[in-house]
Amino acid sequence: MSHISKIEVEIHSLEDLKQACKELGFQFCENQKTHKWYGTNKESENETEFGKCDHAIKVPKCKYEIGVVKQGNHFSLLWDSYYTGGLEKRIGKDAGILKQAYSVQRIKREARIKGYRVVQKRVTNGIRLVLSF
Amino acid sequence: MKEIVLDISNDGEVRIETRGFKGKACLKEAQFLKDLLGKQTFQQLTPAYYVSQKQETKKYLNLCG
Repeated sequence: MSHISKIEVEIHSLEDLKQACKELGFQFCENQKTHKWYGTNKESENETEFGKCDHAIKVPKCKYEIGVVKQGNHFSLLWDSYYTGGLEKRIGKDAGILKQAYSVQRIKREARIKGYRVVQKRVTNGIRLVLSF
Repeated sequence: MKEIVLDISNDGEVRIETRGFKGKACLKEAQFLKDLLGKQTFQQLTPAYYVSQKQETKKYLNLCG
């Protein structure tokens, strides 16, 4: 072992986010400018407020949708975790399941471009990728 | 064997562990992953990090005095 790091994931690649949605059975709706949540967004003028987005994600059997909002050089996920919307059950706390699927796609794509051999397996609390060369 | 092991937890956090590297090579090798994923929140160097790559040096004996 040489070193250990922990990373807080930021979404930079829409392509990998789309691929992650496909893997999870979600529908990525490109250029959908509003997403469903508990309230309404009629008075909202701030682009980072609930209801407004650059793209949206529909999750089967969920009443609410996830908003994908561009903020600087990355994208944020805006979504209403209120239980009636059903999202937290499907995408996890803090959208962890969606971020996990995104990270897997992102790592696999870039690692293969760099010539690594990638092995994926499921472990107790998530997914393990082993990169070797 | 040199490996990079990534554990991506169900809460979306990524843990990167480099194995089989000596010295600073591990940091260089894993940097592209950190750059493409987001912000590093924690880093711990392990004893192998402090082991420098062995460098072969040739020694010549002066046989002519």
